[in-house]
Amino acid sequence: MSRITIPIGPQHPALKEPLSFLLTVEGERIVESALRIGYVHRGLERIFQNRSYVQNVHVVERICGICSHAHTTTYCQGVEALLGLHIPPRALYLRTLLCELERIHSHLLWLGVLAEHVGFTTIFMYAWRDREIVLDIMEKLSGGRVAHAVNVIGGVRIDVDQEQVRLILARLDELERQIESFLGVIQHERTFRARTRAVGYLSIEQVRSHCVVGPVARASGVDIDLRRDAPYAAYGQLDFRVITAEEGDVWARTMVRALETIESVCMCRQLLAGLPDGPLAVRAPRRVPPSEAVSRCEAPRGELIYYIRSDGSDRPARVKVRTPTLTTLATLPDQLRGVNTADVPTVLSGVDLCIACADR
Amino acid sequence: MNIELMLESLRETSPTEALEPQAVPIDETFVTLPPDCIHAAVQVLVECFDLRHLSAITGEDTGDEIVLLYHFWDRHGLTLRTPLPRQNARITTLTDLIPGAAFYEREVSEMLGVAFDGHPNPRTLVLPDDWAGEPPLLRPEKRQ
Amino acid sequence: MSRIMHCIAHRIVRWARRKSPWTLHFNSGGCNGCDIEIVDALTPRYDVERLGILKEASPRHADVLLCTGPVTRQARDRLRRIYEQMPAPRWVVAIGSCSCSGGVFRGGYNVLGGIDRVLPVDVYVPGCPCRPEAIIEGLVLLLEMME
Repeated sequence: MSRITIPIGPQHPALKEPLSFLLTVEGERIVESALRIGYVHRGLERIFQNRSYVQNVHVVERICGICSHAHTTTYCQGVEALLGLHIPPRALYLRTLLCELERIHSHLLWLGVLAEHVGFTTIFMYAWRDREIVLDIMEKLSGGRVAHAVNVIGGVRIDVDQEQVRLILARLDELERQIESFLGVIQHERTFRARTRAVGYLSIEQVRSHCVVGPVARASGVDIDLRRDAPYAAYGQLDFRVITAEEGDVWARTMVRALETIESVCMCRQLLAGLPDGPLAVRAPRRVPPSEAVSRCEAPRGELIYYIRSDGSDRPARVKVRTPTLTTLATLPDQLRGVNTADVPTVLSGVDLCIACADR
Repeated sequence: MNIELMLESLRETSPTEALEPQAVPIDETFVTLPPDCIHAAVQVLVECFDLRHLSAITGEDTGDEIVLLYHFWDRHGLTLRTPLPRQNARITTLTDLIPGAAFYEREVSEMLGVAFDGHPNPRTLVLPDDWAGEPPLLRPEKRQ
Repeated sequence: MSRIMHCIAHRIVRWARRKSPWTLHFNSGGCNGCDIEIVDALTPRYDVERLGILKEASPRHADVLLCTGPVTRQARDRLRRIYEQMPAPRWVVAIGSCSCSGGVFRGGYNVLGGIDRVLPVDVYVPGCPCRPEAIIEGLVLLLEMME
């Protein structure tokens, strides 16, 4: 059978962000694929060197709009480690609360996108409608739906009172009911299972050799989660499960993220119930003494790592960012091999790509 | 992850150089090795300690030299630091031991001009096709 | 008689175009913040479909290009090509501060700094990221311009 090359992207209905694939197909099956990223490369690592530490908090938030709080958390954590600051517990709890709310919003966003690409537009509409609850909570806390600007070097700039806590808990109850209702649909809907089962398979060996992180790794049986293994912010005080699966396909990734969303709602309740009193931030000097630090955080897509080196001035000498999507991109040719062309959007959505993060 | 045992094994791969282990925030140990010992050191980490999770490879042009940092993680962080000369910077690839290093090495290569000998696919990763300038993260000579 | 028929047909086409502007969304290098707010505008809370706005898959079916991002060098030629594939009359809406002026990325080595460096822009919707309400206001402004 002759081979045909099909280009996908950078503008394509299956892609939410620009990236480009060349798929070589034989009949309906993909034989090999080549990937080109770089359409969203804004040269951020050089921009960071030309801005002060405080200005960089604003820039770091805009590496990615979906996991913006994870980026500022990791960055601020790194700079606070360079300065040797001791962050007040109330600030750590509020920082963690936003981290978990962001995880919920990211997973619901992803679920809607996957459902739309599989053809289940109803779940797309339901997931994004219920995601508005989370965005409302984040807007009530910080004033922004997508870019929150909660983290400052030294703590957080927002606070909650008892009335707001009560309202947020009520909305979390509403959110949990909604999530559980359409999760029930996904788990039992046979056509959804048929579209996602045995598609985009990654073995545990492939995941480990490509250093894959996050829900994609956990769905293939690798039990890693920085929130439990290297607790940062307030995660050391929380009681939660790390969800893993064995099947390694898009179905397993769906279940891992869905159950993680429910777990995150429980964690938000624990955080609001146990919120300690105290200040929100400590004063951070503008100039950072010469040093270096490595900061890690469990973003919604996996391990996010920052390396920051300071040289005594008010600007960082080097900020290196490695985002979790970069690790999963390398596995896409393996995932796409042998898959039907009709399942390409399913595979691409299943890994929850964030090209803005990967390209920086 | 037993850092002490790892450091012992790493000392065996480069007995002439002192490793200078350094504790760096947050929960990271930095170790300095010469560039020609990196491949052997990573081989020891992968084969004897099953340390295969390479989080990132950072490259930095400090003005005097190019420093590469290999950030490993297994409940604690271990970073291997190696200095390379600014002119004609080369080092052996790690993709035969850790395939996941492929993208990281491509990025360091295009951003700093470092050549990774033996890399299976040394094309640009994020820079545009028509990029004709210097590697972007190299400091220009006149800047201090 | 044929001139009168032609005028009436022309007015019907203009009315239909205003009542159902089909959009194409392209991200030319943005962080995704504005992109998720654009997609949010399609979801039940904001629901722009009630204004006749659909998100199309192909440039050849679209009237309006909703563009985000500060235009990276790699995306520039593709953006130009997408615009040329759209049949006339076509409009461009620059959504978000990045696509208006480059935003926080202005001056970056790989960033051109705003959609208007590449394409003629009809409506600018600032915000970082801009809310779905602002996007809808921008689209309504465009519909008024179409009159």
